Amino acid sequence: MNSGSATDPAHAHHRPADPPAASPAVMNGAAGVARSDTAIWTRGLTKRYGTRRAVDHLDLQVPRGALSGFVGPNGAGKSTTLRMLLGLLRPSAGHGHVLGEPITEPDRYLHRVGAMIEGPTFHPGLSGRRNLDQLAILRGIGGWHRARRQRRVEEVLGQVGLGERADDRFSSYSLGMKQRLGIAAALLPDPCLLILDEPTNGLDPAGIREIRALLGQLAGGGITVFVSSHLLTEVEQICDHLVMINGGRMLFQGHVTDLLAAEDPRILLIPEHDADARRLAGLLGDEGLRVEIDLRNGPPSASAAQGRWPVVTAHAPEGLAAHLNRLAMHAGITLRSLRAHRPNLEETFLRVTGEIDGDLVRSAQAGQEPDGSVPPPAGAGLDPAHRRGGAT
Amino acid sequence: MIAAFRAEWVPLLRPRLLAGTLGAVVACAVLGTVLTFFSVGHRDFDGDPVTAAALSRPDGLLQGVQAVSILLGVVALSVVAASLAGDHSHGTLRNQLVAQPHRARLLAGKLLALSTFVVVIVAAATVVSVGLSFLLAPTRGVSTAAWSGGAGLAELGSGFVNLCLGSLGYAAIGALAAILLRGPAAAIAVALAYALPVEMLISRIYRPAHSWLPVQLMQEIATGGAAYAMPYADALLRGVLYAGVMLLLTLVIFRRRDMTA
Ligand SMILES: Nc1ncnc2c1ncn2[C@@H]1O[C@H](COP(=O)(O)OP(=O)(O)OP(=O)(O)O)[C@@H](O)[C@H]1O
Ligand SMILES: [Mg+2]
Repeated sequence: MNSGSATDPAHAHHRPADPPAASPAVMNGAAGVARSDTAIWTRGLTKRYGTRRAVDHLDLQVPRGALSGFVGPNGAGKSTTLRMLLGLLRPSAGHGHVLGEPITEPDRYLHRVGAMIEGPTFHPGLSGRRNLDQLAILRGIGGWHRARRQRRVEEVLGQVGLGERADDRFSSYSLGMKQRLGIAAALLPDPCLLILDEPTNGLDPAGIREIRALLGQLAGGGITVFVSSHLLTEVEQICDHLVMINGGRMLFQGHVTDLLAAEDPRILLIPEHDADARRLAGLLGDEGLRVEIDLRNGPPSASAAQGRWPVVTAHAPEGLAAHLNRLAMHAGITLRSLRAHRPNLEETFLRVTGEIDGDLVRSAQAGQEPDGSVPPPAGAGLDPAHRRGGAT
Repeated sequence: MIAAFRAEWVPLLRPRLLAGTLGAVVACAVLGTVLTFFSVGHRDFDGDPVTAAALSRPDGLLQGVQAVSILLGVVALSVVAASLAGDHSHGTLRNQLVAQPHRARLLAGKLLALSTFVVVIVAAATVVSVGLSFLLAPTRGVSTAAWSGGAGLAELGSGFVNLCLGSLGYAAIGALAAILLRGPAAAIAVALAYALPVEMLISRIYRPAHSWLPVQLMQEIATGGAAYAMPYADALLRGVLYAGVMLLLTLVIFRRRDMTA
């Protein structure tokens, strides 16, 4: 029973075309941060490809020392933004600073930045170790001291747990091993800022945990980490700061808790008898609460007749749960279930971004139902399979 | 730039590439030398008679490897194009640009390393060809006396420099194609198609174009001005000019280009 499903009316009527301005999630938690306190600071950062704006007037500010998550649907412009921060792409408009240096002069700050953009890319014919060796030489790590350079390469290989297979050819690596090598390369310069684009893509659950621990540890050591990801539960768990974009535009930046606090909490009530649903809704409505009824699938064991249960959703904080229970009881309504629902990042994300793949918004709008609701995502959403496969 | 130069040797020295290119140039050198000595008493590619007396002259020692200078050029072009375009297509270039954001320095280091590599493979071809020439000379009645004299050594030195310059000219075409097209297969195919059939056709149809087309000039330089009646110094000047313009274009494009690879 997933309360974030598309059958929820609050969600179904949310049009993907107009989320940013209307959404309470649009706020800027870090508005007061000065440029010198930020690791990444941009104003009006824009990248146009022909008529399409991949990134549209982005005002980023990622505080120094933060572990910041960068989220947005496929095609939102995350990788494009990160590439501009690394001097790989020239912005069409706007300006920015990284570690206090302008992004037009990447050689002034990149020696303190480690990065992995759009997946790990290495020379397929060289071993993982030799690939890192090449980057270490290029960065001047250890100078002419071969031993010092090799020690650093060994260190980062150990940090990502790739020590044993380091001498195999990169082309023989599994997806997860390639990803680890990419992270190792990013750690090579002992950076003050780490920019990672979907570092956990393709990692197994244990690997994801390891990376989560590693990032936490790095951020704990004072490194600023700016990490894009589609694993929103991960982001919610580890990131203290969040940047959310869609269609190249900013939806939210600030503390994750601020975003979630702005979400309205709900209490879901399922009466034992379906017939009581309407009466229960009226009762709660009389209390001044906003209420909705919709049908949810019951547990699979339920008989066919009871396949769908009416769920009464009251927009109320968790603290009111006992009160609502008492109200129902006094009215002679037995509840099958009473559950407080605290909004999480994934749900908030889906609601704010319109539950639709950024690149598919335009085509999806054409396919909207007459009542303005959006047809089921049909694979366009960020289902787990999609996260893994199409992410890079 | 020194760091970029040193770093570029890591992929260049991988055993497969090394074995492949050295194998190719050595095979070319053997082919050219053997064919040159076996054509004594016959006519060469341009219809001129090949005689033992001509091969016995001080410049006879390098005839074998000069005969396949086009092939050496093709190998040089391919190695450079594959290496530079490979960085694009493997996506390794973006890692390198994060490690060395100064694009001009990165490219200069790479080109320097690749040029050195080209010189090394030309040297390998020359050594093999020279050795083989000394072996084959007695069998075809060619005298080696003039080869090891002062004039012979001077010819050897200048001939080697010319071969290197010619091959580096081909390499410059490969570099430009790689930066323009960003994929090894496309870069090599287009560069070779231009260097061989296209230029050959143009110069066949309109003979004077021969002294102005870049690859024809590189060829002219590689063989020390032997192939076509035009002053060597002119060919060298024009060839160097072409190569300079190509490298400048490569650098400008590389510096300004958005790295989407
Ligand atoms: N070289 C390019 N030419 C044209 N359009 C591009 C180019 N690169 C990116 N785009 C467009 O810019 C938009 C943003 O792409 P970007 O790769 O930044 O998205 P993303 O947020 O990283 O998505 P994902 O989560 O799928 O990685 C997309 O609509 C994409 O099609
Ligand atoms: Mg991306």
